[in-house]
Amino acid sequence: MSTSSSTPKPELRRSVTPWGSFSWGYSDVGADIFVGLGLVLAWAAGASNVAFLFAGVVYVCIGLAYTELAATYPVAGGGQYFVMRGLGDIFGFIAGWAVLLDFTIDVTLFAWTSVDYTSQLAPALVNSVHPWLHFIVVLGLVIGLCLLNVVGVRESTAFNGVVSALDVISETCILCFGFLFAFRPQLLIHTMQLHWPSTYELMLGTSLAIISFVGLESISQAAQETQRPASIIPRTSVALILTILIFALAYSNLALGLQPWHPITDSAGHPMQFWQIFPQNSDNQGKAVALLAAQVPYYGAFAALYVPVLGAVLLLISSNSGVFGSSRIAYAMSSSNLLPSLFQRVNRAYRTPAISIVFFSAIALIELGFAAAPALFPGVSSLYVRFFHGENGLEFLADLYAFGAATSYSFVFLGLIGLRLMDPLSPRKFKIPFNIPMRFRGERVDFPVVAVIGFLGIFSILLFTLRTHALGRIFGPTWLLLGLIAYLFYRRHRRLPLLRSQKHDWRNEQTEILRRAGELELMDEYLSNLRASDERRAAGRS
Amino acid sequence: MISFGGDVHITIAGALIALLIAAAVGATLNWMLHPPQSHVLRIAAEAERELERLVGSLIVVFSPEIDSSHMMALAVKLARGERSELLALYVIEVPYTLPPDAEMTFEERTALDALGAAETIANGHNVAIRTETIKARSTKQAVLDVAKRVKANLIILGSFREGKYTGAPLGRTIEEIAADAKCDVLIGVEGKHGTLLMDESSQSTT
Repeated sequence: MSTSSSTPKPELRRSVTPWGSFSWGYSDVGADIFVGLGLVLAWAAGASNVAFLFAGVVYVCIGLAYTELAATYPVAGGGQYFVMRGLGDIFGFIAGWAVLLDFTIDVTLFAWTSVDYTSQLAPALVNSVHPWLHFIVVLGLVIGLCLLNVVGVRESTAFNGVVSALDVISETCILCFGFLFAFRPQLLIHTMQLHWPSTYELMLGTSLAIISFVGLESISQAAQETQRPASIIPRTSVALILTILIFALAYSNLALGLQPWHPITDSAGHPMQFWQIFPQNSDNQGKAVALLAAQVPYYGAFAALYVPVLGAVLLLISSNSGVFGSSRIAYAMSSSNLLPSLFQRVNRAYRTPAISIVFFSAIALIELGFAAAPALFPGVSSLYVRFFHGENGLEFLADLYAFGAATSYSFVFLGLIGLRLMDPLSPRKFKIPFNIPMRFRGERVDFPVVAVIGFLGIFSILLFTLRTHALGRIFGPTWLLLGLIAYLFYRRHRRLPLLRSQKHDWRNEQTEILRRAGELELMDEYLSNLRASDERRAAGRS
Repeated sequence: MISFGGDVHITIAGALIALLIAAAVGATLNWMLHPPQSHVLRIAAEAERELERLVGSLIVVFSPEIDSSHMMALAVKLARGERSELLALYVIEVPYTLPPDAEMTFEERTALDALGAAETIANGHNVAIRTETIKARSTKQAVLDVAKRVKANLIILGSFREGKYTGAPLGRTIEEIAADAKCDVLIGVEGKHGTLLMDESSQSTT
């Protein structure tokens, strides 16, 4: 028996179960509704449910696209990998760079909102009352998460699983009791008729609603560690899509038709509807679910105690997934020569990509400083009013978050279309429905209609974002432009093609991906498809 | 609409939506947690079911000839994982020159040590264990009889003691039990650092 002298390269352990895979996604997407609900209610008012419905339809398309791609290409890297494979290196870079923006915002936005939820139990942490204390706690959380990730301590899948399970049960209870005891269908209709927003506000609300659905790529990032990814990921993704959609639509409808358990009045003593507390006071926007839960008859008294804690923990996990995810995406992009190899460097002592973690955490801290500045320095506030339409910190982060997500997802749809055309031989265990069969370069391909619809939907949200978000339309494209300049310099330095892609052996890579994933039947099918295609081409030539 | 006093009114629409939400979330998660099995998974599941059948009742055999102490920890972990019944059996072979119930103080004391150690390992892993010392003319027959009586699924044997080497590679008693048992037999032969297999490199130098 021959023995190899080289030590085999260690591979990621496939230990993520169906619930583990679901909770990876849920700990990211599930937390979004805690952030997004208040913002959407503040802007879209009586049409909040419509804003969530539109964003939800687009989200379903995004979810289906990710499901197909992650099940077909179960590798870490997520959207940037799919786009790189479907459209080429430079587009893969743009998609990955946009996701990196989202992940850095994820760190700050969710740490910020985690403190907002905690302020429900510790009022000293309310931003408008003690902005410095609020800022210092958020700053401490971000630095703490950065250090934790550097030394290798990360949230375990088991912990994610427990928190996700508690949250699913808790949110289901809030909604069920809320609809049972406090929902008035007439009030919902009345609110929709009387408080329908302007077109501008509806566009803004819709672009904010999409942030409630960001984070699906977490499932595909964990694909390399998921057991039987081609079979499990479609299920967990679809379950995540449905669960989050149910929650988002239910929350928005309940919030508009909720008869508060405790009467709410404004400063003049006039009775208010529940949703009106969000445009009135921006401090409420960061803790909407906790405030809603507290207004549910009977159950609310109990929920008021634990929902802020549960929300804060879920948001903190999501914030941590931002630190972890940004370093992982940068690592994957670096492996594909889209970013300098610096980001692939692993710390000797802790065996973590420490440079990536610190670099992107530093960007998150800059974003935090920018977002907190108006509250910390009243003088700066006047500058923001003059140049940035007076947006507050949370809205600034949400602006950029929506921009990054919409940009990245737009490219993912294009990447899916590209992969359907360029790589029709890869077996797709899950395929988005509604396809048009056609021939492309001698192969039979299924053109995905839903991807086109999804692209139009998410692209329109990107346009809404650019139209309505004063800061987002400046800083989002600036981020992309700076990244592109750095990319071109790097590629030139490495003597790699600037606008074209470097050479890839996708056939061997795909076979290896399926083998490593343990999807042996799919690997056989892929090899058989390749053989049949080669024979057809050979017969055609002769 | 049902009024409970105060501001609580249950509407049909609200109750229906609440029911739908609970059903939809429950059904979605249930569907997610029960994915279809692949060919590889079916093979793995079959092997696991086979393991359950294999280790429903375990006997770990000790005797003056057979040293199963190094197999005891493995047997306990198996029994714990599969919730099997575990029996540690010490067989004292009584020579034909003595009556069947002859007092054999030294062997009985050795049996107490072996079974005491077995109990300690089992207690340490929170596994219920029965211990039994029996005297018999033939170790092989005694083990097979007990296995039949307790309907054992698996007999676990260690390797033989070097001092009692009888010429058969595994020890004659071990080979006979393995050949005649009606259930599965697991034989743990100590490797490089044990007493049966010699280190080839050290042999060549001597």
